[in-house]
Amino acid sequence: MIALSTTALALPGIALSDAPPSQSIASYKISNYSEDDIERSESPFGDLERYDIDVHQFKLISPIGRNFSFSLDANHETMSGASPWYTSSDVNGDPIVALSGASGIYDERSEVSFSTSYYLDQGTVSGTAGYSEENDYRAIYYALGGSRNFNNELTTLSFGYSYSSDEIFPTDAKRFNRVKHERKNSKSGVVSVSQIISQNSTYQVSLNISEQSGFLSDPYKLKDVRPSDKTQIAVTNSYRHFFEDSNSALHINYRYYHDDFGISSHVVDSSWHQNFGRSLRVVPSIRYYTQSAANFFTNIDDFAKPESQYQSSDYRLSAFGALSGGIDFVFNYGRWSTIFSAERYVANDRFAGHTVNKASTALVRFNRFSIGFEYIF
Amino acid sequence: MVSDTQEGGILTRSFRAMGSDCEFQLCFGGGSDSQFIFKCLQDELERLESKYSRFRKDSLLSQINLGKEVNIDNETISLLEHAFNCFEQSEGLFDVTAGRLNSLWDFKKKKVPSQEEISYALSVTDFSKVSWNNGILSMPAGMNVDFGGIVKEYAADTLAVLAKKFGVQYGLINLGGDIAIVGNKPDGIAWKVGITDPRGTETEIASIDIYSGGLATSGDYKRYFIYEGKRYSHILNPKTGFPCAGLRAVSVAANLCTVAGSIATIAMLKDEPEAIKWLNDLGVPFVAMDSNLSMLRNSD
Repeated sequence: MIALSTTALALPGIALSDAPPSQSIASYKISNYSEDDIERSESPFGDLERYDIDVHQFKLISPIGRNFSFSLDANHETMSGASPWYTSSDVNGDPIVALSGASGIYDERSEVSFSTSYYLDQGTVSGTAGYSEENDYRAIYYALGGSRNFNNELTTLSFGYSYSSDEIFPTDAKRFNRVKHERKNSKSGVVSVSQIISQNSTYQVSLNISEQSGFLSDPYKLKDVRPSDKTQIAVTNSYRHFFEDSNSALHINYRYYHDDFGISSHVVDSSWHQNFGRSLRVVPSIRYYTQSAANFFTNIDDFAKPESQYQSSDYRLSAFGALSGGIDFVFNYGRWSTIFSAERYVANDRFAGHTVNKASTALVRFNRFSIGFEYIF
Repeated sequence: MVSDTQEGGILTRSFRAMGSDCEFQLCFGGGSDSQFIFKCLQDELERLESKYSRFRKDSLLSQINLGKEVNIDNETISLLEHAFNCFEQSEGLFDVTAGRLNSLWDFKKKKVPSQEEISYALSVTDFSKVSWNNGILSMPAGMNVDFGGIVKEYAADTLAVLAKKFGVQYGLINLGGDIAIVGNKPDGIAWKVGITDPRGTETEIASIDIYSGGLATSGDYKRYFIYEGKRYSHILNPKTGFPCAGLRAVSVAANLCTVAGSIATIAMLKDEPEAIKWLNDLGVPFVAMDSNLSMLRNSD
């Protein structure tokens, strides 16, 4: 049927040039992200409670005239709890972790961004500008992107560039001898190709290269010295297949990542989108992640090491693996839809596909629940 | 004659165009001017009919069929490209240059043409001899193009796209059984499209559920005659010059009405078992009536 569709889809009355959304969509989502308490065996002293984050997200997309669309994103997060402060060793020489002060951390983050897209006959051009602020962090960013359709709209080439300028000004800097004011810049470029393989399947591959420079360390850790430049490269593959008979779709994604801190990672995730009529969709998903450690990762901070030498005990720089699973329920009724999501994530050095020389004692396990509403008008 | 009715938020306009009973069933968004939109859709249909009708002397198609070299626009080039794709996909069975053959078989006079007449018509039927370079169409003298099986289906798709652009929420464009769906129905229930008995009893013999895209039907609906005990349908094989002896009728659902129409026409032109196998291989939903008047559906 594809053979007959190619010329039919090119007919001028039918050929759907890229068009702005025909209706406006407003959505609101509330999520709770809650890390499990750390085990007493991993942290013999102090508080065991880790991060808890509540997120409110609002989004509005609206067409303007025939060729433009506009979107507004606004997020607000409140974070509380504690994060790993430093690591040391117990009497047996095994690593242990201490969490940041008993009073913990309380922070709020607000973010707003605007995007606009211009729709051409065979593609789009878009721009985004955003601002994010926390008690101790501020970021201004912008992004430009474009896409072009080829091959009777069966192939789409997309490209994008983004830039972010961040400022870090840790709280209680004087009391804890932290840095007072630092900067960080990030640049990122992406190229991707999407291909419609058949009426029911699509494939996309994208290459993303980004570079960060400036203060890349964690100012809240007692000892954390990282290089001031980082180059990252990621290749993402996505395959989608729609099964007409069962009214369902399979999504499979694989991503390879490498950076010059020495971290390589692989992620495979898959989700099954099962529709029950038009009013209910259930989406179970599963994900596996593994990464190698950064060259300068340690699980026991060495306070004797000079400041000129890199080291970090951040669990995110250790070698580990993670498994997560989740389920979404999407209910549609008229102009409204509601989504309920639940996710469980467990990171563990035993899950790692990479070699683990030094296991982190502070790997996270978390639950995430969210409820969202969408209205089309 | 135009008539409008309203039921459950859907406004229906019925009228005749392209030699068929046509119907728009549309649900308009609040504040939209339904009369204006209906008029724009009918104007667009009239534009396509006046351009591609082979019965109108001033149409572009009639100009082409006069045998002159004609400047053609992008829309006509795209239609020719699609017709040529159908020609290739069907190994020459679906041939829009069979215009002479189509006018030779006169279904009103109910007479079988002579072998000489058929031989001449076949000698001027071959799409591979048509060229359209630099926007100029040229074809052998005597050849006639007939966009039957393409233009009405294309019109249905075009009107569905146009209706969506006008902000119509959902609905259905029906041009004499060639149907294109507009948007998504909010209740998620499929459009149940009835298939009429090709024997002309005006009864519904089956139905197909469609959510999007289009549906088209090809069959010897009323346009056939019995001569000396043998049944002659208006679906003509461009290789033999004689009516096909395959399926009596077939209705096909696809991503576009244009695609459904091309598939249905090609299926009618093929031999019966081959047609059913081809339809099943394509994986499209279909309902067919074979020469024994048995109903066949896509094998599940």
